[in-house]
Amino acid sequence: MNEKDLIQDPDTGSTGEINISGVTANVRSFFKRLSEDQGIKNFFRKFILIITFAASVIFVLVFFIWLVPALQEIPSGGKTALTNNPELKQDAGYKRLTSQMNRDLQRLSRKYNSFTSGQSYLVINTTDNLFHLYRNKKQVREGFCSSGSYKMLQTVEGRSWIFKTPKGKFTIQDKRVNPVWTRPDWAFVEEGLPIPARDHPTRYEYGVLGDYALSLGSGYLIHGTIYKRFIGMPVTHGCVRLGDEDLEVIYRTLSVGSKVYIF
Amino acid sequence: MNTEVNVRPFYRKISFIVISSLLVAFMIYHTVMSVIAPARKLKEIHEKYGFVQNQKNPVDERIFSDSAFISLMREKAYFQSRVAMAGTDSIYMTINLADSTVNLEISGVVVHTTDIKKQHISSILSKDEYSVLNMLSAPLVIERDYSTIMKEPLMIKMAPKDTSEYQPDIIPDTADFEPVNFILVMDNSINIYVYQEEKLKFGDGFRRFVFDLRDRLKYTAASLARTASFRVPDYRPFIKIRLSRADAKRIYRALPYHGQVGLYR
Repeated sequence: MNEKDLIQDPDTGSTGEINISGVTANVRSFFKRLSEDQGIKNFFRKFILIITFAASVIFVLVFFIWLVPALQEIPSGGKTALTNNPELKQDAGYKRLTSQMNRDLQRLSRKYNSFTSGQSYLVINTTDNLFHLYRNKKQVREGFCSSGSYKMLQTVEGRSWIFKTPKGKFTIQDKRVNPVWTRPDWAFVEEGLPIPARDHPTRYEYGVLGDYALSLGSGYLIHGTIYKRFIGMPVTHGCVRLGDEDLEVIYRTLSVGSKVYIF
Repeated sequence: MNTEVNVRPFYRKISFIVISSLLVAFMIYHTVMSVIAPARKLKEIHEKYGFVQNQKNPVDERIFSDSAFISLMREKAYFQSRVAMAGTDSIYMTINLADSTVNLEISGVVVHTTDIKKQHISSILSKDEYSVLNMLSAPLVIERDYSTIMKEPLMIKMAPKDTSEYQPDIIPDTADFEPVNFILVMDNSINIYVYQEEKLKFGDGFRRFVFDLRDRLKYTAASLARTASFRVPDYRPFIKIRLSRADAKRIYRALPYHGQVGLYR
């Protein structure tokens, strides 16, 4: 059994003999032929050389790109060791500095809180097309809205408009019931229509802005829409569109002077 | 003829040894210079924001390692930067590393808040508390940013010549298909890395790796250029945070090009 192993076939039950010494001899002779063949030797030498070179290049790159920055982050001395020394707390200089620091903190805290008034305000998230209505610093309603499409309309003459909702802090400047839309130039250009005179009757469209509109200035409004299936999508020309119920609640909650935060 | 054949491998060997030795020497030299860089940066911060002793009214400097005093300083630095930013009408970001939260604020009103999933900060930002906190008491201003998504996904549409060409359209947001990773380079050379936490699609991890590699290559090239000219490389203290994809996108899109950031650590 040392030189020959018997292997039983599980299906047929027959046994086959494998001559291990024969296999070893064959392998040995293969490697002997390989070592004698100059062409194969050269090939392997070149192959190992290329692998070594590639590994060295990779090591150098990894060294400069990852290893050196990692070494820079190895914590060394100089880290502030925080203490709690009761003797130091009795020091007059310590008392003076900490009381000054506490006064500064109170002043800053008061100033910071003064920025947030208790008035109702609206927050509009243009990335997700969501709105959040706050009263007394608590959220009272949230829902979907539509904001600017980020479409840039260009004419062959070189005129262009970017339809995006402005971001930052705004103030409600005006509130209207049953608003009438005065169509700007881009509304005609977008549909391939000729631009009419400023006071032409085709400029005025009734019922397309919903029941209410709140003006943010510079022509931007918060209003309703007849295209309700698009609410929650970035499809507007810069205004903020809301569903009828949400618009009514917002109209009744916010007053002229209320803040609208758009991000 | 035989001599020539024997001489060539010798020169080859010598040149290989010389080149390898030079490379190893440069690697050691670059490592030493790079390891010096953070200490040098900390020294710069200390010189600019460190405590200056008043000879008439001297202060016991042990106070700057007192935990209660440092805690008050942290609060004050954070409030100072927030008050300064709240004075503008612009959107700004506050990063609270102690609470692991990121806020978007406008004029003192928190309009969005999110949790940091993972964070990693430069070791020098934990050293010399007094100077570092003094530096953070002013808002950090974004000098430039690099991102995998567009800040404003503008789509150009040519106006139709007449009504027959008019076609109403709905524009999909392209960023819904891309991973969100961005780097904010601040004016005081702190870099804020914001990476998407989730790997939502096949290849998201690889794209983050490529984005990170591109930044590392830029940094490495700049460092090598400096060490090659016998100067200490510029060290960039960093804050690396991971957020959910949706929050990373909201924050990147909301921040203005030269927006401000407040940091609490």
